[in-house]
Amino acid sequence: MDQVEMPQPVKFILNWGRKYSLWVMNFGLACCAIELIATSTSKHDFMRLGVIPIAHGPRQADLMVVAGTLTDKMAPALKRVYDQMPDPKYVISFGSCSNCGGPYWDSYSVTKGVDQIVPVDVYVPGCPPRPEALLHGIIRLQEKIAGEDIREKWSGKLTQPQPAATS
Amino acid sequence: MASSPSRSPLPPAEIADRLRAQFGEDVRSAEEVHGHMTVAVNPERYREIAAFLRDDPDLGFDFFDFLTVVDFRPKGRGFDVVTHLYATRHNHHVRLKVECPAEDPRCPSLSDLWPGANWHEREAWELFGVVFDGHPHLVKLVLPEQFEGHPLRKDFALMTREAKPWPGAVEGEEIEE
Repeated sequence: MDQVEMPQPVKFILNWGRKYSLWVMNFGLACCAIELIATSTSKHDFMRLGVIPIAHGPRQADLMVVAGTLTDKMAPALKRVYDQMPDPKYVISFGSCSNCGGPYWDSYSVTKGVDQIVPVDVYVPGCPPRPEALLHGIIRLQEKIAGEDIREKWSGKLTQPQPAATS
Repeated sequence: MASSPSRSPLPPAEIADRLRAQFGEDVRSAEEVHGHMTVAVNPERYREIAAFLRDDPDLGFDFFDFLTVVDFRPKGRGFDVVTHLYATRHNHHVRLKVECPAEDPRCPSLSDLWPGANWHEREAWELFGVVFDGHPHLVKLVLPEQFEGHPLRKDFALMTREAKPWPGAVEGEEIEE
């Protein structure tokens, strides 16, 4: 299968199906988690975009939303949950803290961006971002999924655990 | 003691007077701050004074509210260990301050008097490096095991601030000077 180019209609159908079935892993770490929960409730309702809250565990999830302040002590747990998710998997970094450390840019304990730990697909800025911002981020992620090469994504090469850097 | 009725709070000055009457010169200073009496005490009689505050029926400080440390080394002093006590039956507060030396700061532990002091002292130990003598389990509480240094000390180097200086005033210190 790796040798054959997948027909365009098949690619379209597969990506179309995947982008409207995103089981979300709630990695709520701080106040941003409240906005994530608000996005899942009836007013903003991200289920209309096919995002299904909340996966029973990382092994059932397609999408992890990292909402809140990641500390250096928490970082190994985040990496572990991410590694437990099956491919294809996506990460939305939600809020300034998980994007870059945010107001804790000079802290001794806060990780300056979750992209140091896991590959991030969509960054949602704000402190905290409104639920509409997350909805926009999800639509952006769906656009990305729609244009994806499914074989490359499913191979796991993009997301496999990297061996720890040796100094 | 548990059955004794609730009473009205003692005025802050009255708390200081009772401590002075009992311990004399070992109560080094007493002033009212934010409506609570703040007393600086002799470190050698710190535990004795704390036990008196807990056990005296009129004072009755049965609740250990919090413990923190202030790093005064930039001002040419050592560390101040600040202990906030509360009396649930009387509804009054007191703060105890103990000065520790800048080099090898040590302070007696209160965790046998109030079990609630245990975690506060562990946190103060790891963040400020003040050793609490007599503490039963002085290991890291909130920091990762491999963390080195005491991050709330004023001289702790923040790597990001080495790269980009803090753009604002540091807690109003410039304004003061």
